[in-house]
Amino acid sequence: MKQRNEKLWSILILGLVNAGIIIVLSFLSPTFLTYENIVSVLKRMSELGMLAIAETIVFISGGFDLSVGTIMALSGLIAVQMYIFGLPFFLCILLALLGGMAAGLMNALLIVKLRLQPFIVTLATMSIFRSIVYGVLRGKTLTQFPESYLAYGDLTILGLPFLFIVLVIFAVLSTLLLERTYIGRHIHAVGGNEHAAYLSGILVDRIKYTVYILSGFISACAGLLFSMRIRAVIPDAGLNAPLEVVTAVVIGGTAITGGKGSIIGSLLGVLALFLLTNGFSLLNLNPFWQQVVLGLLLIYVVGREGITEALAGKKLKKRSHQAVRIDRAQ
Amino acid sequence: MNTPLEFKIQEKHKSLRNFRELPIFLYILCMLIVFSIIIPGFFSTRNFINISRQIAVVGILSMGMTLVILTGGIDLSVGSILSFAISIGGMGIPDGKSIWSVYPLVLGLGLLLGLVNGFLVTSISVPAIIVTLGTMNIYRGITMIVTKGKYITPIPSQFLYIGRGLTPFLFLVGTVILFIYITLFTRFGRNIYAIGGSEQSAIYSGVPVKKYKIAVYAISGILSAFAGLIFVGRSAFIQPQAGIGYEMNAIAAVVIGGTSISGGAGSILGSFLGSALMGLILAGLTMLSVDPYWQGLVTGVLIILAISMDSFQKLRSERRTL
Repeated sequence: MKQRNEKLWSILILGLVNAGIIIVLSFLSPTFLTYENIVSVLKRMSELGMLAIAETIVFISGGFDLSVGTIMALSGLIAVQMYIFGLPFFLCILLALLGGMAAGLMNALLIVKLRLQPFIVTLATMSIFRSIVYGVLRGKTLTQFPESYLAYGDLTILGLPFLFIVLVIFAVLSTLLLERTYIGRHIHAVGGNEHAAYLSGILVDRIKYTVYILSGFISACAGLLFSMRIRAVIPDAGLNAPLEVVTAVVIGGTAITGGKGSIIGSLLGVLALFLLTNGFSLLNLNPFWQQVVLGLLLIYVVGREGITEALAGKKLKKRSHQAVRIDRAQ
Repeated sequence: MNTPLEFKIQEKHKSLRNFRELPIFLYILCMLIVFSIIIPGFFSTRNFINISRQIAVVGILSMGMTLVILTGGIDLSVGSILSFAISIGGMGIPDGKSIWSVYPLVLGLGLLLGLVNGFLVTSISVPAIIVTLGTMNIYRGITMIVTKGKYITPIPSQFLYIGRGLTPFLFLVGTVILFIYITLFTRFGRNIYAIGGSEQSAIYSGVPVKKYKIAVYAISGILSAFAGLIFVGRSAFIQPQAGIGYEMNAIAAVVIGGTSISGGAGSILGSFLGSALMGLILAGLTMLSVDPYWQGLVTGVLIILAISMDSFQKLRSERRTL
């Protein structure tokens, strides 16, 4: 019960922060609160939102996935490349999604079968997938999508962009999965204490396979949404995703040590990032300020307890023990 | 005959330890022979000097990375520190500053950024991967903002000596010898292994863990800046995008060299051989006119192979003791 209240509080605070940014930005720029600008922000946040959903599920299970952004680039590439080869388009979509799931399966196999650490595995697979994307595209941009597919990028239903509606559907489904099914409970249990989960009869390995394959699938969907929005496949898609997604997810209250977190929090985190980006461009700041601010934000959010303690200069003993615990959990 | 089982295992383990670097040494020989046969012109002094210069930068980065990984941490920011140090430390070069004022500044910047990493990792209890993912982007962002993305060129010839001929490789060998000495024969080195083996036990046995951790990140920072100086000497211009993706190569060299990614086991010599093997493979692929786009694939696969081997050995010895 206490944890539930804590979660609601952090979501509420994040919602208020977002509202605050919106109010400030609407004062700074008259074009901010126009329908066009809102639609464009919602569209742009949809693919990163999808990646954040994937990362949240992985984080709750106690894992780490640096490869989400690269799987996103890979799936768009598979779709367009297969279409160029002359396959019917629905099959290309299917293959793109399967490709994402296969990439997730590859991560899971390495993590489960060889007991490797998730972060180093996904660091390596990130490099592998990105290299495949670079090697196939060779710096080119592919745009040979059928027009009927690209039309979804501009489609709006009841005034809301189609891309955003897809994001909402995925958010609702994965929240239901995490909160209302036994799989979700097991994911929480594995992230909370893997050994205890194993001893109480949870099939830990199967949960890990589920989590990483699901993460690959959702990232592949993100890749399709991205290609609809920008009407192309580009080599550098999702290049900054590790930083952006991890930052958004931890801002949203998900613990990097696993066991707790929420999809809605992560999406509010993504929204905050996009509002900040929007604000930076309205203020005509160098776009690299965003990179700096995100990095600072990431370290601050993960370490805020440690920072307050370090500033207060007390509880030294407790802190050093905590550091050990977190390092081990990593 | 009646040796206790435990003792036998220990002995076996010990002999394995002693030859930890042997397999990778054999891989290097194999690669040398294969490439020399299939690529005309591979087995030549000029080519080897070329490869040795390519190895130098990643090799020096991997020395610092080895120390960090031995303590159970990781440093994703080495590439960003490299470009930060040379781009911002080298801003005086167009005004005619000499190496005597630029080099200390560059190394000092590297030390400073490494200290920041170490301070963040130890004092606010944030995992190293998160801290350095953050600082990697912070340092890169600041570099791009301060330099406005501009290259520094031309570079006066006094800055190029360090990158000519065999000099980079000699610097690498010097660094390797220094750090082999530090890790094997000093208290500092032994304590680094102790921290990676079990941080809790190290704390209880009175090792100043915090200081040591700050020190290894600081060393990694200085070495990144030093690698940056060699990089400038080699390429003869300074670009703020330098060093993107170098953390992958350094980590690959370290884990290929047999250092355990969870800390506590590994060696400097292994990392040196690891970077040599990677340099050989990448150079061979380039000479076989494989697109440089595929280099990431090779690095990634090598990392996975290397950590799988480590894990296989662990799983097997676990089973054996059971």
